[in-house]
Amino acid sequence: MLKAAFDPVQMAIPFFVLAIILEILLGRFGKAKANYETRDTAMSLSMGFGSTVAGLLFGSVIFATTVWTWTHRIFTIPMTAIWAWVTLFLLEDLTYYWFHRLAHERRVWWASHVNHHTSTHYNLSTALRQTWTGGVAGTWLLWLPLTFLGFPPAMVAIQKGVSLVYQFWIHTEAIKRMPRWFEAVFNTPSHHRVHHARNARYLDANYAGILIIWDKMFGTFIPEVDEEPCRYGTVKNLGNFNILHNVFHEWIGIAKDVAASPRHALGYIFGPPGWSHDGSRDTSHTLKAKWRARMEAGAGEGAPPQ
Amino acid sequence: MDKALLIQLGGSITAVALLVAFAAWLGVARATPPLDAVSAKALLELEFPDHKPDAVWIAADGAALIAREGALALVVYRRGDGYVARDLPWRTIAGLKPTNGRLTLRLSDARPVFAVNDDAWPPKELA
Repeated sequence: MLKAAFDPVQMAIPFFVLAIILEILLGRFGKAKANYETRDTAMSLSMGFGSTVAGLLFGSVIFATTVWTWTHRIFTIPMTAIWAWVTLFLLEDLTYYWFHRLAHERRVWWASHVNHHTSTHYNLSTALRQTWTGGVAGTWLLWLPLTFLGFPPAMVAIQKGVSLVYQFWIHTEAIKRMPRWFEAVFNTPSHHRVHHARNARYLDANYAGILIIWDKMFGTFIPEVDEEPCRYGTVKNLGNFNILHNVFHEWIGIAKDVAASPRHALGYIFGPPGWSHDGSRDTSHTLKAKWRARMEAGAGEGAPPQ
Repeated sequence: MDKALLIQLGGSITAVALLVAFAAWLGVARATPPLDAVSAKALLELEFPDHKPDAVWIAADGAALIAREGALALVVYRRGDGYVARDLPWRTIAGLKPTNGRLTLRLSDARPVFAVNDDAWPPKELA
C-alpha cells in the first residue's frame, strides 16, 4: 500500500533509450523530422540523470509526508478495484494539469520547471530534461489530496509513473498528427509541441498530461497550425550550455529581484514569470497582447486564435 | 550507498555518455549558415517583430548581429544551432574595444565573441 511494487519509469528506461536511437536514425536518414544538437542532447540527458539523483535525495521527505497523510486518510480505496484505477487515472491527470499550469503561471514553480523548456529542440531527449528542484519547490504537495482521499500511495506513485512514461513519446517532431479522434481526447506530439513553443501565439497553453480534455475544459487549449511552425525554447533563451545555470538560473533570478526590491517580494516569487513591479518586463500576457495588436494591425503572422 | 544503487547510477552515466556520443555521431543539427543581410533581416522580423532597428551590423563570420534602435542594442549570437538574444544599452556596445579582430561581450550568462573585420569600433553601420 505504501511502496509501489514496480516503477513504470524505471521499467520504461530501455524503451526510452531505444526510441531516442531510433529517432536519431530517422532524422539522419531523412525519414522523419528530428534534429539533435550534441550539447543540447547532453544537457537534456544529464538533466534526466540528475533528476533521478535529486529525487533520491529528497525522496525520504516526500515519502514521510505521504505516509503521514495516508495515516490520516478519509477512506481506504482498494488497489484491486478497477473503478479505483479509472477514478485515479482521471483525478491524477486532473492534478497533473493544475500542477503543470501552476508551474507555468507562478514564478516560484516556474523556477523549478523552466529547465524542462530551455531546449531549443523538440525531440525525445527533451522529454528527459527533468527538474532537479521539484522537491524544494513543493509541487509534489498537490498529489497529497489523492492520498488523503484514500488512494494508497503505491497506487498514486504507479499512476504518476504511467503519466510520465506516456508523456515521453509526445516529445517529438517525427509524428505530425495522430488520428482525429485521438487528437480530440489525448495529449499528442502536436498538442505538446504547442506547449513547448515560444511563439507568442502559443504561450501558456496545453498543460495536459495524458488527456487534452482538461485544456479544452479550462480554456487553455491552442491547436498547432501549419502556417505558424513552433519555435522552441523559452522567451529568453539560455546564453550557454552550463547545466548548473540551467538548473538554478531562475531561482537566482528570483533571489536577485527580491534582494533588489524586498517590498515587492511576493510579486517576484508568486507573480507570473516576467512580472516586475515597474512593468518593465514582459509576461506571457503582455507578449500575447503585443502579438494580438500586431495581428490586428495586419502584420501577417496569422490570425489571432478565437 | 548499496551496491545495486551504485550499479544503477554507473549504468545510467554510461548510458547517457553513449547516447550523447551516438547523437554527436549521427544526430542532425539544424542548418545555421552564416548570416547575411537577407537572412539577418528575416531572423529579426521573425523573432523580434517589435524591434524596428535603425541599423544592423553582422559579424564578419556571420555568427552574430547587433541591431541598433536609438539608445538600445539588440545583440543576437549563435549558440549551438540556434540563436540567443539580449537587449543592452547602446553605450555598452559602443564602449567595447575589439582586439585582434575579436570583440568580447560580457553578459550575465555568457561571453560571446564577435568576429570583426578590423579593430575600429563601433562600426560605421551602427555609429
